[in-house]
Amino acid sequence: MIKLENVYKSFGKLEVLKNINLEVTKGEVVCIIGPSGSGKSTLLRCLNHLERITEGRTIIDGELIDEKVKGKDSLKISPKKVALVCAELGMVFQRFNLFPHLTVLENIIEAPLTVKKIAREIVMEEATLLLKKVGLEDKKDEYPSRLSGGQQQRVAIARALAMNPKIMLFDEPTSALDPELVGEVLEVMKQLARDGMTMLVVTHEMGFAREVANRIIFMDQGQIIEDSSPEEIFSNPRQERTKSFLQKIL
Amino acid sequence: MGLQKIITAMPALLQGAGLTILLTLVSIFFGLILGLLLALGRLSKNAFFDRLSQFYIWLFRGTPLLLQIFFIYYALPTFTPITFDALPTAFIALSLNSGAYLAEIIRAAIQSIDKGQMEAAKALGMRYTQAMRRIVIPQSYRRLIPPTGNEFIALLKDSSLVSVIAMTELMRTTSLLSNSSGNAVYYIPCALLYLAMTTIFTFVFSKLEKKYSISE
Repeated sequence: MIKLENVYKSFGKLEVLKNINLEVTKGEVVCIIGPSGSGKSTLLRCLNHLERITEGRTIIDGELIDEKVKGKDSLKISPKKVALVCAELGMVFQRFNLFPHLTVLENIIEAPLTVKKIAREIVMEEATLLLKKVGLEDKKDEYPSRLSGGQQQRVAIARALAMNPKIMLFDEPTSALDPELVGEVLEVMKQLARDGMTMLVVTHEMGFAREVANRIIFMDQGQIIEDSSPEEIFSNPRQERTKSFLQKIL
Repeated sequence: MGLQKIITAMPALLQGAGLTILLTLVSIFFGLILGLLLALGRLSKNAFFDRLSQFYIWLFRGTPLLLQIFFIYYALPTFTPITFDALPTAFIALSLNSGAYLAEIIRAAIQSIDKGQMEAAKALGMRYTQAMRRIVIPQSYRRLIPPTGNEFIALLKDSSLVSVIAMTELMRTTSLLSNSSGNAVYYIPCALLYLAMTTIFTFVFSKLEKKYSISE
């Protein structure tokens, strides 16, 4: 579903990603952990073109969507195509980024209506189902500012799901939440994993990673240091850096 | 004494005030459209549009409105075949001028919207123009209203400058009345009418601001 080949990304002189090679197959739940500034979020953002890579190739669902050779664009992708591929990747942000001028329901139906141009009745029906799924059907006419952080993030998940994505990207979805609200968001994500969604999750929730992930990737200083199963990474990390990181946070 | 004169002159003064309001409303309307285009130019990644907008704003904010009015009315016909009557000149000059000021107001309002909004819209598959139109610009309305209200009030008063090309708006009506009668009492109702207009529109703008702040 996702393939990164020799991906580099720099902001000016700062190299944020160095030679990233990664493959995620259908139905896999992959958690990315690591210290802040290790490039975890940038890696996610390169997948849906919120950032453009400076070297390498990214392939989503068999489509080559970004290719840079020696810093030059060797592939012309139309903005239309980019938008189309991005729509197959649902993204959930750390700070929710709900549209504050729209109600909960309007947040969810906006993209299916205006991007996919699906009939309103169908979109409304799906939105209602999604709201039920995240447990917020009674909040559909509220504005986001009236909701708690946990509720806002669940709406954001429903909003992303409304586009029927093949892959869900989570960028530290619980980091901006009060501790008592983390559980309700993780619960929705677990349900999603059980339903077989392909997920790439940047997180600091080690309990969630251990329980739900098929694979865990440890990143440090823009590189993938370790890529293995949760059992192995938590009980028997191969790399020194992984070990010292886990010791600090567990 | 004066009161009787004022009452007799009231229809003329009100007619002048009506033209003042018309000039302001029409100019702010076209100014907003022009301002939005210029603001989008300033925010565009395309250097040409950015420069063009910058140049325009530089030109129209950097010269007096009075000069712009004279230029369009008197200078333009001397070296181009274009001639405008007084009324179109007034509309054009006020619109072009307010467009430059509104451009910077709109640009600032759009830039003040959290970058995460554009990112969320793009992540949902929206194109730049779509995300701007549906997500970013609607959110900028509320922040746009107070400074636009300021600009509106300023424009309402600045519209008195078109009296120099014989537009009988409130200011010119008043000076004609006092000149012909040799009595300066007409400046009192003139001031009161300006105050009434600015008060009403200040009220309208504060209502608008309330209306657009429900969601925040």
